[in-house]
Amino acid sequence: MNRTTEKTYALPIGPVHVALEEPMYYKIELDGEIVRGVELTAGHVHRGMEALALRRNLFQNIVLTERVCSLCSNSHPYTYCMSVENLADIAVPPRAQCLRVVAEEIKRISSHLFNVGVMAHVIGYNSLFMHMMQQREIMQDVKETLYGNRMNLSANCIGGVTHDLEAEAFAFLLDGLARLEPEVARALDIYRTDRMVVARTRSVGVLSREDALALAVVGPVARGSGLATDIRRDAPYGAYVGLDVDVVVEQGGDVQSRALVRLREIQASIDLLRACVRAMPAGPTLAVLPEIPAGQAIARSEAPRGELIYYLRTDGSQTPNRLKWRVPSYMNWDALGIMLRNAKVSDIPLIVNSIDPCISCTER
Amino acid sequence: MIVFGFLKVLLGNVAKGPATEPFPLGPATTPARFRGKVHMDPALCVGCAICRHVCVGNAIHISERADGSGYDWVLWHNTCALCGLCQHYCPTGAISMSNDWHNAHLQAEKDEWCESRFVPYLVCERCGAHIRPLPTSVAGRLYADNHVDVARILRLCPQCRQIETALHEGVRHDDQRVA
Ligand code: SF4
Ligand code: SF4
Repeated sequence: MNRTTEKTYALPIGPVHVALEEPMYYKIELDGEIVRGVELTAGHVHRGMEALALRRNLFQNIVLTERVCSLCSNSHPYTYCMSVENLADIAVPPRAQCLRVVAEEIKRISSHLFNVGVMAHVIGYNSLFMHMMQQREIMQDVKETLYGNRMNLSANCIGGVTHDLEAEAFAFLLDGLARLEPEVARALDIYRTDRMVVARTRSVGVLSREDALALAVVGPVARGSGLATDIRRDAPYGAYVGLDVDVVVEQGGDVQSRALVRLREIQASIDLLRACVRAMPAGPTLAVLPEIPAGQAIARSEAPRGELIYYLRTDGSQTPNRLKWRVPSYMNWDALGIMLRNAKVSDIPLIVNSIDPCISCTER
Repeated sequence: MIVFGFLKVLLGNVAKGPATEPFPLGPATTPARFRGKVHMDPALCVGCAICRHVCVGNAIHISERADGSGYDWVLWHNTCALCGLCQHYCPTGAISMSNDWHNAHLQAEKDEWCESRFVPYLVCERCGAHIRPLPTSVAGRLYADNHVDVARILRLCPQCRQIETALHEGVRHDDQRVA
C-alpha cells in the first residue's frame, strides 16, 4: 500500500502515543495533509503468552489469560475456562453461569466508558473526557467492592466462579447502575448532538457496511457499520442462552457511530445486569471437576471489542498442549486501511481510537 | 454556546466539589473484599501444596527443614499477582487476602518482603515419627462420622492412627453398635 511518489511523502506515527499509550507503528503515506496509504508494524509488546501458557498448568492459565489485556481481562479467563469445560464436558451450575455474565457485563461497561472517554480526549474535549472517566469510576468502585480489584476480577475458575455475591453486593451494584444510567443518557445526548463532537466525529473514518462485511470486522466496529452481529445472541453461551440481548446497531459507519454503539451498549448491559440480579438462580457456584482428558475444544464469546475465540488442546496431562486465542482487535486492524484513506492527518489518532484497538491482546 | 449542553454538566460537577479521595491527608476507602497482601495462618496449613500448584507466578515456596522439624511456607509478595487463586483452592482456609494495599518498600527490602511462615511437625505419641499437623477443624470434618477421640488421633502419625482406629472400630463391631 506504500507507494511513496513525488507527490506523496511518508510520515512515521508511533509506535507510542497514538491515542492510547500502547505501541503500534504506522507508516502513513501523505499527500499534503491527506492520508493516501497506511502500513502497520506490530510486535512491540509481544510477550510470548501462548508459549507461556504451555509452561503453566490448567489452573495457572486462568490467571495468565486474565493478564492478556486489562480492559477485557474478564473475557479471556471466561472464554478460556469455557474451552476447558467444553473439552471435559463440565456442567457449570446455573448460579455460576449467571454470576459470570454479571462480571462480564460490568467489565463491558467499564471498557466502553473508557473508550468513549478517550475519544473526547483525542478531540481535545478534556472536560468531557474527565467527566466520562469520573462516571467510569462508578463501575470501578463496583468492581473493587464486588471482586476486590479495579481491573482484574479473578471471577472465573474452571467449572464456575471463585466468588459468590450476597444481597448486599447486588444492592451496591444496582445502586451504581441507578447512578450511572442517567449519566449515560446525558452522555448519549452530548455525543449525538454536541457541535464540537459532531464536527470532529461525523463522517470521519467511514467504514461502509460492504467493507465491514468484506473485512469480517467484529464487535462495535461491525455494529457501527450496520452489521447486527453479536456472539451473545448469534451463538449464545452460558447464561446468555436465557437472556434477551439487545444487539445495538448504528448505520453511519463513522467514528461517531462507533461511539454511539458503545454508549447504547452500556444501556443494554445495564438492562442485562438488572435481569441477571432479578433472575439470579440459587445453588452452588462450582462444579465438581473430573480429570481433564486428552482432546481439543474451542469456545467463543463476545468480548467488549467483539468475538473472542479460544482453542485448547490437551494430552491428558495438567498442562495444555496448545492454547491459542484469536482476539477481536486482530480482525479490526485491517479496517484502518479503509477508514484512514483520504482522512486528515489530525484525524488519525481519532480514527485509530474508534476501533478501540487492543494492542496487548493482538500481540500478547 | 458551542458546548452549552455540556456546560450544565460541568457546572454540576463544580458544585459537587472534588471527586477524588483526600488520601494521604484522609483515609482511602477500602472495600471488605479487597484483594490485598496475602496472609497464611500456619495453624491451619496441612502442607498439601495446592496453593503452590495453582500459583501462576510461582510466588509460593514450600520447603522442608533439613532437621525434619517442619516446613517453611514462603510467599514472595513481589511475584504475587494478587489473583486469590491460592485462597480459593486452599482446602483448609489457611490463606486469606488482607485489605493491606501498602506495597511500597525499599529496594534493599525486596528479598525479605515475604509472608514467611514456619509450620512445625508434631511428634507421634506412639512411635515418635514426625507428622504433618492436621488442624482440628479439618480433623473434625474428616472424622465427623467416626466415633473416635479426635484429640488423641491428631497426636498420632498416619500409621499409628490406622492401628488405633482399627482397634477402636473392632471394639465397636464387637459391641454391635454400628448401624
Ligand atoms: S496454605 Fe492451604 S493450600 Fe497451601 S499448603 Fe497449606 S493447606 Fe495446602
Ligand atoms: S494470590 Fe495468586 S499470585 Fe499471589 S500467591 Fe496466591 S495464587 Fe500466587
